[in-house]
Parts: sequence; C-alpha cells; structure tokens
Amino acid sequence: MKRFLNFLFSSVVVLVSICVIAALIGIFAMLIHESLPALKKIGWEFIASGAWYPTYEDAEFGMLYMILDSLILVGLTSVVVFPMGLGIALYTTEYANRREREIVRSVTELISGIPSVVVGLIGVLLIGPLMLKIGAWTPFNLLNAVVSLTVLTLPYAISLIIESLQSVSRDLREAALALGSSKIRASAMAIRGAKHEMLYALVLIVNRVLGETMVVLMVAGGAVMLPRSLFDPIRPLTAAIASEVGEVELGSLHYSALFLAGAVLLVISAVITVTAETFIRRGKRWLTG
Amino acid sequence: MKRTILSVILLLALGFLLMADTLVIKGSNTVLPIAQRWVEAFKKYYPDLAVTLEGAGSSTGIKALFNGTADLANSSRFLKSSEVEKMHAEGKYFTPIVIAYDGIAVIVNKSLPINDISRETLKKIYTGKITTWNQIDPSLPKKRITIYSRNTASGTFETWENKVLDKERMAPWVQMLESTQAEVEAIKRNPYAIGYVGYGYVTEDVKVLKVEGVAPSMKTILSGEYSISRPLFVFVDLSRFGNTWPETNVVAKFIKFIVSPEGQKLVEDAGYVPAYPTTSSE
Repeated sequence: MKRFLNFLFSSVVVLVSICVIAALIGIFAMLIHESLPALKKIGWEFIASGAWYPTYEDAEFGMLYMILDSLILVGLTSVVVFPMGLGIALYTTEYANRREREIVRSVTELISGIPSVVVGLIGVLLIGPLMLKIGAWTPFNLLNAVVSLTVLTLPYAISLIIESLQSVSRDLREAALALGSSKIRASAMAIRGAKHEMLYALVLIVNRVLGETMVVLMVAGGAVMLPRSLFDPIRPLTAAIASEVGEVELGSLHYSALFLAGAVLLVISAVITVTAETFIRRGKRWLTG
Repeated sequence: MKRTILSVILLLALGFLLMADTLVIKGSNTVLPIAQRWVEAFKKYYPDLAVTLEGAGSSTGIKALFNGTADLANSSRFLKSSEVEKMHAEGKYFTPIVIAYDGIAVIVNKSLPINDISRETLKKIYTGKITTWNQIDPSLPKKRITIYSRNTASGTFETWENKVLDKERMAPWVQMLESTQAEVEAIKRNPYAIGYVGYGYVTEDVKVLKVEGVAPSMKTILSGEYSISRPLFVFVDLSRFGNTWPETNVVAKFIKFIVSPEGQKLVEDAGYVPAYPTTSSE
C-alpha cells in the first residue's frame, strides 16, 4: 500500500512537471510558428525601421522604436527600483529592530498584492495630473510609466533583495564586526557576499518590468516614438500587443507581426537571463578557483 | 449513484439546450451599448431565449458570421472588398441593415478658447503638420497639442482614418487610448488636448467643437450636414435561410424588433442617432 502510494505520488509529480515543460515548449513553438509568416514577409525591416502602421493600406511593421521604448523603460525603472530596493532591504536586514522589520514586511506584502490594473489607475488618476502640473505636455509619458512601474515592482524587489542578503551567512557579518569593522563595512561585506543572488534578483526584476503590460498600456502614452525627454509618450511592445490583438484579423500579416513582437520580447528576456547566468557561473568559477 | 446523478444532469443540460432557442450576436464595440439594450428588452418577450452577446470588434463579428459561430454580426463599418470576395467565393450572402448613425464628435478641454475647427485643420493636427495650438489661431495658447486617438482596433479609428485623414498616416506622437471613456477622462484633465469620440459618449466634462461650422446633433448627423459620421450595421447571412429573408425564426423576430420604434428608441437611449422613427405612426 505504502509503495503504491509512493508510486502514485511520484507519477503525479512527474506528470505535472512534464505538463509544465510541455506547455513551455508549446508556447515557444507557437510563438515561433505564428511569427514565421511575418518574419518571411517583412524580413529584417522589423528591427531596422520604427514605422509601425499595421492597419494602413501599405502597412509597415517596424518595431525598432517599440523595442527601444521597452528597453529604455526597463533600464530606467531598474535604475530607480534596484537602489531603492537595496536601500530598504539593507535597512531591514542590518539596522531595523524586529518591529520595524515587521512593518516593512507587512507593508511590502500589502503593496505587492495590488493588482497592476489598480496601479495603472493610480498612474492615470493621480500621477497623470501631477505630470501636467510639473510641466509635461501629456499626462501619460515615460516618467509616469517609470513611477507607476516602480510602485508595482518595488515590493517585489525588496523581498528578493532581502532574501539574497539573508543568504549570506550570519557568521561572515559577525566576524567582520568582531574584527572591529564598522556597520557600513559589514553591510558592504554582506552585499559583496550576496552579489550573485542579487544579480539574479535584478534579472527577475528586469523580466518583470519587461513583461508588464497593464500599467504601460494605461500610463505610458501609447505613441510609437523615440522619447527625447522623460515627458514624451512611449509605447512598449507589450502595450502594442495587448492593444491590437483584440481586433486583428486571424492569420493576417498584422496578426503574425504581433506574435513576432512577442517573440522579440522572449528573445530579449532570454538574452538578459542567459548573460546574467554566464556572468554568475564565470564569477563563481573564479571565486572557487 | 454518482453516475446516475451525472447522467441526469447531462440529460437535463442536453434537453435544455435543445428546447431553448439561441441567438448569438458578435461584433462592434461601438454597437455594443445598443445591442445590450436590445437584448435586455427582447428577452422580455422571449424569456426562454438564450442570447449570447459579445463585443470584440467589427472584424471579429464578420469573421464569426463566416465561420457560422454567430447569427448576427454588429459592425461599425461596411464589408471590406476582401470580405465581399470571400463571401462570394463561399456562396454566402451577408445583408446589411442600417440600424443607427454614429456621429464622431471632436472634443477638447472646456478651458480652451476654441469653438470651431475645419476638417483640413484636424487632418493637419493628426498628421503632425500642426503641433501647437497657436498655429491654428494666434490667440490660442502657445502650447503643444496633446493628440489622442482610439487604438487601431476600434471602429471609431477606422472612420476617423477614412473621413478625416484621407488615409494619410497619423503622426507618431498621436497617443492611442484603449477606450472612449479613457479619452474623455484624459481630455477633461488636460487643458491642451484634443480627441475624437462617438457622439453618444460626449459628456458635460468636455467641449464639443463644431466641424466646418456644424455642431454634431441628432438632426445634423441624420441629415448629413455634420460631415464626420457613419452608419452602423447589423449583418445577417441570408444563405443560411435559403437565400431569402427569414420571416418566422428568432433571427427574423430580432431584426423586426431592432428596427421597430421600440428598438430604435433604445438606439437613442444609447446615445446614437436612430435610423428609423422612434414613435409609432398610428
């Protein structure tokens, strides 16, 4: 009986894992299959041109500006989110007493429970009018997207970084302190000890921002252009897909081009992840000799 | 025991499906608020009728008519030439019924001192030849125009493209919004914004501009004086009824209802201009 149960359990686990892997491969396959017609017809123009006029008679499917919009947004948001998250995480792990830690923990948990559409609404109703007040020509722009995405991803970043800091053994820190180094020095030690985990955290944050759709759809402005200032509207790839896939003719070139946009996102994310992983592996080899 | 319960449920469900008439309507989001009112009122006459109503865009509706997953397709545009060809090739016969007119109103913030605009100017704004308000009239503020448009998926966009842009391309900095409500809301909050929405969606919060000296109203839209307007259609596939007009089935009843004074009154309630009289002639 016991053996049977064991067998049952392990087969269920294996089955579920196979399902997950199959789904993942299926997604890849479908993306590639559906985007092939567009790749064949449009050719490399899709990353050489920025003119995105999918519904006009002589349609153009240049994604360059949207790809750059996505990258700019990811870059700026990470530059804001990561140091902020690191600061808060350091404070929580190194300086805060138990009560403060509890407060940070519950607040981040609370905020991370907010659905992205609600964050989008905050961007539309609260940050948008504020943008006009500080001199922007449109309430929905790059800056608004960065701020809204920061609200959305900061709690996620904080808990990831806290986790990576906690992975550094307590001994290391205590040894540093015992040797008479300052608290700042000890924190620096902790950061250095956790740098690989933190790189992982950064990759997760970047992927989260890259894939975020609802918020950018609502507050980024929806204009396919290269921003010259923080106040210019942008349109990341995810927003274009979400906005246009609703009414696109099935099997048309436009439809296929939207899948191609999805594939581009996947490639960007894969490149970032793989680069980071190689970096970490090399670093580890170097450390252990 | 379990099996018996299951089979009873299945039988019941099957019986229910066979007994109840169904009507599936798909298509334009523009027509959706009208269709919702129709379905609600129509169900009072036929309480057993199961109606599915979906607003996913005109093209989706027509596509559903092609593959037989809808009985009626709502559309804010006429058939494209490719669709007409496909229709002939497949031996289908889609008949349009004009059920309403939709004027597209040009709206700006209430504080902006402008009341009238020409189609030429609108075209210049949307294609990017004019970027600040004082280029239109020196007395207007020297501020960059925030230009809003509906996203390319919307029927309103298509009409705007045909009636105002003459198929020229919009400037890259035109901002695509996902819904008409979002557009009204954005223009209410932005003193230098311009946008266009279906006449039925205009609220007190924004200012409607006259186009070529004509303000959009029931009267001017129906008479054609107001130039940015379009008919709204319901398409039915007559090849399913032996290429003749259906007279007795539920589709026939529904069509009769929507063009009746009662159905047309609901068009007016939804904020559009009815295509037929809303009061009985008797």
